[in-house]
Amino acid sequence: MNYRPLPLLAMLACAVLIGAAPFGSAQRANAQIVITKPAGEKINITLAPLTADQDPASALFMRTLRDNLNRSGWFQVTGAGQAEVAVSGQVQRRRDRLTVQCRATGTANRREFMAQSYHHEAADARRLAHRVADDIVQAVTGRPGIASTRLAFVGRTDQAAELFIADADGEGMRQLTRDNNIAVRPRWGPTGNVLTYTAYLRRFPDVFWIDLDSGQRRILANHSGLNSGGVISPDGNEMAVVLSKDGNPELYVQHLRTGRLTRLTNTPHANEASPSWSPDGREIVYVSDPGGRPQLYILSRDGGRPRRVTTRGSNVSPDWGPNGLIAFSSRIGGQYQIALLDPQTEHIRHLPMPDGADYEDPSWAPNGRHIACARRENFRSQIYILDTAGDAPVRLTTQRGNWYSPAWSPQ
Amino acid sequence: MSKITVLLLIGLGVVVASQTTGCRRRPRADAGIDGVGAIAGWDGDHIYGEGLGPRFGEDGQYIEGQFPAVLFAFDSAQIAAEQRAQLDEVARFLRRNPQSRMVVEGHTCEVGNREYNLSLGERRALATRAYLIGLGIDGARLQTRSFGQERPAVFGHNEEAWRQNRRAEFVVAQ
Repeated sequence: MNYRPLPLLAMLACAVLIGAAPFGSAQRANAQIVITKPAGEKINITLAPLTADQDPASALFMRTLRDNLNRSGWFQVTGAGQAEVAVSGQVQRRRDRLTVQCRATGTANRREFMAQSYHHEAADARRLAHRVADDIVQAVTGRPGIASTRLAFVGRTDQAAELFIADADGEGMRQLTRDNNIAVRPRWGPTGNVLTYTAYLRRFPDVFWIDLDSGQRRILANHSGLNSGGVISPDGNEMAVVLSKDGNPELYVQHLRTGRLTRLTNTPHANEASPSWSPDGREIVYVSDPGGRPQLYILSRDGGRPRRVTTRGSNVSPDWGPNGLIAFSSRIGGQYQIALLDPQTEHIRHLPMPDGADYEDPSWAPNGRHIACARRENFRSQIYILDTAGDAPVRLTTQRGNWYSPAWSPQ
Repeated sequence: MSKITVLLLIGLGVVVASQTTGCRRRPRADAGIDGVGAIAGWDGDHIYGEGLGPRFGEDGQYIEGQFPAVLFAFDSAQIAAEQRAQLDEVARFLRRNPQSRMVVEGHTCEVGNREYNLSLGERRALATRAYLIGLGIDGARLQTRSFGQERPAVFGHNEEAWRQNRRAEFVVAQ
């Protein structure tokens, strides 16, 4: 999904909308883009006409929906007076179910963006709120919502580094591994239910694969030497990975079903690290340091001559986003900051630094707007959500500790 | 062993390694020591990558701390001149104990990116291994393992801790 900030003149172009779906079973409104605004500007939306009963699950649903809409970046939840969009309907607890009937309407022209009813376990009211929030975002803005997505990241103590997972609003955090081992840099597979990461479960750094649906874990790469940076291709058939089995860290592509390896780099003078696939799976961006400092390179998935795309400072941990832009961590002077690279023009834009902390290991949200990263200060990290359209950073991890290497799920 | 013998061995190793791997070499120092008196693997920053043999050391007994760590400069995998005596010591042990095998562990300080540091640590371990191969040790007896910045020898967020954490360690596998 493409996201580019729109020119100021295109402000508040209120396009006409499509026919509405009636209330009924889980039927989706087939609305297309209906409100377009510059990314920095909010659509005022009100939840006042959405009435909820007194049940705690209904209250949790309402709180979560309000929070998710605010976090989406596109909306400001307001009172009924200023609202451009009104969400109306009912939220009711019936035995162990929560029923939500919900309609989003433009206040100026009374046109309907979406109308839908939902039934879900009351015990899982937060997930239902995520889904409704994403449907509202999609129907009103035409952009994918991120409320139902998740983040995987690493939590560190002096003894161990383990994998954790949380909802995109930071709630529902749970510990995924309990190995008393070192977990390094998780990455999602394209289906959103698989993680790959590096760990030392057999004393050496190997690439593992975790199926989050079944809870099963298996080894993907355990060659002699280093196995790291394993990341599944968009079509799910291959893995880009850094191996040192041939005597130097180099970039390879491993076919997942056959195990067949293709070596893509041959750099006896340099290290490779941190591959990330282009959205079409044809190219890979990665880190290499033949000149001494780490820089980003782009290479065809079939090999050939790599193209160097950064020159100044040290540049590491690239993540090629669904919008085509490569987010990475750039150190110029003493500090790491997040930068965005357009691989076509090779233009680099540094996100404004809100403070003197280090911002590292960016990971794009599937909306192509938000970026999760590790904010490090005094050698301790917390996960933060950055907004490329200008909203202030939001802290995701609230517990004390050392949290880093976030990976945003693709859906 | 005299210095000249060591240099000869290293020189021989370079020739053998470059022939067996077919890597193209950078046209710089012929062998061993470059202009700043350091060896990376061999000649500066080019590790004549002799592929690793089948992995060992996943289970079984092992001994840590028998040899002092070899230290590295920031962002470097070059083996400095003053570290070589220690590696001679390691090579002597391996020659006297032909059944012993060794895992060379590469580590970095906490400065820099974690995943990049994994590769940097591996390169330090490989450079150390390449140096030992140059001293006549069979590469099949030497595995490498990088911990990047994940296992500091010294806790502390200061220059002195970082200096001690940029290192290669030697684990004897039984």
